[in-house]
Amino acid sequence: MPPAGIPPSRALPLKESGLFKEVLHYYEDRQLKKGLKTADAILKKFPNHGETLCMKGLILTHLGRREEGLELVKQGVRLDLTSHICWHVFGLIQKGQKNYEEALKSYTQALRFDKENMNILRDAAHLQTQLRLYDGLVETRHTLLRLRPQLRQNWIALAVAYHLSGNLAEAKSVLEQYERIVKNVPDYDVEMSEILLYHVRVLEELGEYADALSLLDANAKSRAIIDRVAIQEFRARILSKAGKDEAQQAWQGLIEQNPNCWDYYKGYLASRGIDLEAITDEQRDQALHSLHDFSAQFPKASAPLRIALEIAQGDKFTKLVQPYLKTRLEKGVPSLFADLKSLYRSSSKRDTIEQTVTSLLSTLVHPATSPSPPDTDPTEYIWALYYLAQHHSFLGSHKKAIELLDEAIGHTPTLPELYMFKARVLKRAGDPFGAAKNMDLARTLDLQDRFLNTKAGKYRLRAGLIDEAVEVFGLFTKKDAPSPSQDLEDMQSLIYLTEEADAQLRNGNLAMALKKYDAIHRIFDVFEDDQFDFHGYSVRKFTINIYLNLIKWEDNLRSHPAYVHSAIEASRILVKVHDDPSLATKPSSESELSKKQKKKAKRAEKKVQEEAKKANQNSANEDKGLDIGPLKDEDPDGTKLLQASDPLERAAKVLKPLTTMAKDNIDAWLAIHDVAVRRKRYLQAIQALNRAHALNADSPELHFRLVDFQRRWTSLTDKPSENAASAALSAIQKLIPDEVSLEVFNSQYLQRHSSRADAVLAAAKVSRTLGAPREEVEASIFTALNADTELKLETALAIVAFLTEIRSQRAEEFRAACRAKFQLSTLFVPPEDLAAAQKAVVQKDPVADAVEEKAEIIS
Amino acid sequence: MSSRTTSSKVSFAAVTPNNLGTVRKLNSVLFPIKYSEKFYSDIVQPDVEDFCQLIYYNDIPIGTMCCRVEEKDGQAKLYLMTLAVLAPYRSRGIGSQSLQHLIDAAAAHTKPKITTIYLHVQVSNEDAKRFYERHGFKEVGLYENYYKKISPHDAWILQRDIEPKTVEGK
Repeated sequence: MPPAGIPPSRALPLKESGLFKEVLHYYEDRQLKKGLKTADAILKKFPNHGETLCMKGLILTHLGRREEGLELVKQGVRLDLTSHICWHVFGLIQKGQKNYEEALKSYTQALRFDKENMNILRDAAHLQTQLRLYDGLVETRHTLLRLRPQLRQNWIALAVAYHLSGNLAEAKSVLEQYERIVKNVPDYDVEMSEILLYHVRVLEELGEYADALSLLDANAKSRAIIDRVAIQEFRARILSKAGKDEAQQAWQGLIEQNPNCWDYYKGYLASRGIDLEAITDEQRDQALHSLHDFSAQFPKASAPLRIALEIAQGDKFTKLVQPYLKTRLEKGVPSLFADLKSLYRSSSKRDTIEQTVTSLLSTLVHPATSPSPPDTDPTEYIWALYYLAQHHSFLGSHKKAIELLDEAIGHTPTLPELYMFKARVLKRAGDPFGAAKNMDLARTLDLQDRFLNTKAGKYRLRAGLIDEAVEVFGLFTKKDAPSPSQDLEDMQSLIYLTEEADAQLRNGNLAMALKKYDAIHRIFDVFEDDQFDFHGYSVRKFTINIYLNLIKWEDNLRSHPAYVHSAIEASRILVKVHDDPSLATKPSSESELSKKQKKKAKRAEKKVQEEAKKANQNSANEDKGLDIGPLKDEDPDGTKLLQASDPLERAAKVLKPLTTMAKDNIDAWLAIHDVAVRRKRYLQAIQALNRAHALNADSPELHFRLVDFQRRWTSLTDKPSENAASAALSAIQKLIPDEVSLEVFNSQYLQRHSSRADAVLAAAKVSRTLGAPREEVEASIFTALNADTELKLETALAIVAFLTEIRSQRAEEFRAACRAKFQLSTLFVPPEDLAAAQKAVVQKDPVADAVEEKAEIIS
Repeated sequence: MSSRTTSSKVSFAAVTPNNLGTVRKLNSVLFPIKYSEKFYSDIVQPDVEDFCQLIYYNDIPIGTMCCRVEEKDGQAKLYLMTLAVLAPYRSRGIGSQSLQHLIDAAAAHTKPKITTIYLHVQVSNEDAKRFYERHGFKEVGLYENYYKKISPHDAWILQRDIEPKTVEGK
C-alpha cells in the first residue's frame, strides 16, 4: 500500500521508487545520460508514471532534444496533475522559453502541493520580480523568511520586496529588525556595508533625513560602512535635502576629491541657494567668485572654468572664454566644439566665441607653402580652423566650413579629424557620396582606428552602399563569425542595426529593413531577459543599491532612442504592407540579392551548420541548458518576416511600449494613430491625434492625418457602438471644426504656415487626396521655392518624392531649382545620375589617385 | 620658440601597414615623385622599423623618413630614401632632430652593424645639401641622370660614417 495522501498512479514499488530518486540525483549532478537510462528503466514497467515522464522530458531538453522533451513534460503533467514535481518541471521548461507568465502559473500550482519547497519559492520570487508582481513577491519573500529566518539574504530580500512594492516603511522596519538580530559581523564587511547604505537610502527616500544622517554618521565612524566615496556623496546629498548648513562643506570635500565632477559643483552651488537653471544676477557674481576660487585651488581642473562659462554673461564671459579657447586650441583638443556647443543657445555667447576664435585665427594665419612664423604654432592654427569650420557648419554655413577645412587640409593633410569633419559637412549639405569618400580618406590615414572605421562604414550606409559598408565593418569584426553583419548583431550593436535598417529602407528594400528593425526589438527583449539572473544574484551578494538602479533602468528600457526609432519605422513598414500587400510579394529590384551575395550567404550558412554538427557530435552528454539558444536564420532576406500575417497586430505590439516610454515624441503618437485607425480602433486613434496635437498643433504630419481621419470617419459604413461613436465624434470636433469643409480647413492651414515648406507640402498632399487637379497641386507646391519660404533639405527631398509619386511632369524642374538652392548637394540630380555618383564613392586607394599625375617614379 | 620646447613636441613612430596611408599622403605632397608599391611594401618590413618612421609634431604626423638597409661584402649601409617635413613645420629643427634620431638608431643597431649612411640629393637642391653637410655628411660623388623625368637629372651622393655607440661596461 502506498503511504497516505499519495495517489495510486504516482506510487511506485520499492525498486522503482529507488530508481526515481536516482533520476533526481543524476539530474542534480547533470549526469544526463545516466538519468535518461534510469528514467527509461522505470518507464518500461510504468509507462504512465507522470513524474518520471516529466523528468525524462526535462533531461531530454537539457540534451538539446527540446521538442521531444516538451511533449513528454506536457504528457507527464496531464497524467499527474497534483504532483509538485510535474508542475515544477513544467515551470522550469517555460522559464527556459522565457514564458515567465506561464512559468509562474506552473510554479503556483507546484506550491499548492508543496507549500514549503524552498527552491520553488525562490524561483517563484524571481518570476514575480521579473513580472513586476510586487504584492505576490512580498508574500513569497515573507514565506521564505518564515521558513529560514537564519538566512541573512532572506531578510534583505523581504526588505527589497517591500521597497519595490512601494512600501518603504515596511522595508525600513525589516532592516531595523535585521540589524538588531544580526551577530558576528566581521570587520570591514562589504555585505554589511552595502546593507547599511541601503538602509540610509530607504530613510532618505522616506524623507527622514535626520535619521538617515545619524545612521550614516554612526556607521561611517565605526567603519561599518566602508565605501568612503559613497559615504561622502550620501552625506552631501542628504544634508542638502535636509537644508543643513554643513552641506556646503560636504560638497567642498567632494570637490577636493574630484575637482572635475560637475555634480559636486552643482551640489555645492545649490547648497548656497544657487540653482544653475534659474540663477539670479546677484547669484551670478557669487557663483563666479566661488568657481574662481576653485580654479585657483585646482589649476588643472577644467570643470570650474567650464561651469563659469555657463554662468558668466557679457564682458565677464568674454574675459573667461578667451583664455579657455586659447589654451585648448594650443593644446589641440579635438572635442572643443562639442564641449562648447551647448553655450550656443545664447546667441551673444555664440557671437563672442566666433569673434574670439576669428581674431585669434588672424594672428595665426600663414601660408601653407613656407615655414610658419617662429612665434606661432602651426598646429594651433589647424585647430583654430577646425573649430571655426565646426562653428560655421553648425550654423548652416556649409560652404564657409568647407573653405576653412580645405585651407587646413592644404596646410596639414594628415589630420584625420579634418577629413572626418569635411565628411560631416558634406553629409549635412546633402552630399552623402562626397561625405563617404572623405570619411574613407580619414580611415585610410589610420587603419587601426576603430572609430574611423565605424564612421566610414556608417557613411557608406548613408550613401546607400550597404555591401561596401559591411566590407569595411568586417575589418574589425570577428573573423570566425558567419558574417560581419551577424557578428555585429550578436554584439548587439544598435547603431549598426539602426543605420543598416535605415539604409535598406532608403534603398526601398522593405524586407531587409524590417528584418534589421526586428533584430533591434529582439535585442531589447534580451536586455529585458538579462535582468532575470540579478533577481537572485544581487540579493545573494547584497549589492542592493546598484540592483535597484538596474530595476529602474529596466522599467524604462524601451525609452531608448534606438527602440523608439526602430519601433516607429517598423510600424510604418507594416502599415505600408497592410495598405498594399503586393509590396510584400513582388521582389523589388534592390532586394534581389546579387549572385555574389547569395554565394556568400550560402557559405556562411554552411559554416554555421557544420559548426552546429560538430558541436552536436562531440557533446552527446553535454548540458545545453534550458534556455533556447540562437536559432538558425531561416529568413536571410527578410521576406518571410515581411509576408507574415497580421502586419497591423505586429505593428501595434512594437508600438505599445511607446505610449508610456515616448510620451513626448510626436512621431510615436502619429505612428500609433496610423496603426489604430487601420485596426478600426477609432477612439485610440483619435486619442493619439489628441496627444500629437498637444505636442505640436501645427505639425504638417498631424494636419495630413486629421483630414485623413475625418474622411475615414465620415465614409465609415459600420460605425462603432453609439457610445464610442459619440465620444470619438466630440474628440474630432475639437481638432477639426465641422462647420468648415475639409478644403477650407486645408487652405486655412496653408495660409497660417505658408512660409514653411513642410507645411506647404502637407497641404498639397491633402488637397491631392481631396481630389484637386495635379496642376493645382503642383503650382501650390512650387511656392515652397519662394524666397521667403523656409525650405530644408529633407523637405525638398520629400517634395521631389511626392512629385514623382503623383507622376508630375515638373519633378525635374523642381530638382533643377533645388540644385541651385542646395549647391553642395548631390541628391537633386536626375535619378539615373544618382547611381553613378554612388558608384564613384568606393575607390581602391584614394591617395594613390592623387599621385597618378607625377611623372617621376622611383621603385 | 626655444629648441627645448620644440623637441618635447616632436615624437616618432614606426611605419606600419596601418599608418601607411599617412605615409602615402605625406609623400604625395612632399615629393615630386611617385613611389612604387614595392617601396611601400619594403618600408613596413619589421627589420627596418627603426629606420622607417613617421615624424609627429604635437601628435600630428607632419613628416616621414624611410631607409633601406643594403648589405654588401658583409658590410651594411643605410640608404636614406626619403626625409621630409611639411612646409609649415620647417625651420624648427624638426628635420635635424629626425636625422639625429636616425643616426642614433643606426649607431645602436647591431644585426647587422651599420657602417655608413648615404643618400641622393638633386643637384638643384642646395638647401638640402647644406642641411646634410651640417650633420656630418660629405659629398662623395655625382650620380648622372639619376632622375629620368624631372630636371636637373643629376644627383649628388652624400655620405656619413656611423660610429657605433659605446656600450657601457665594455
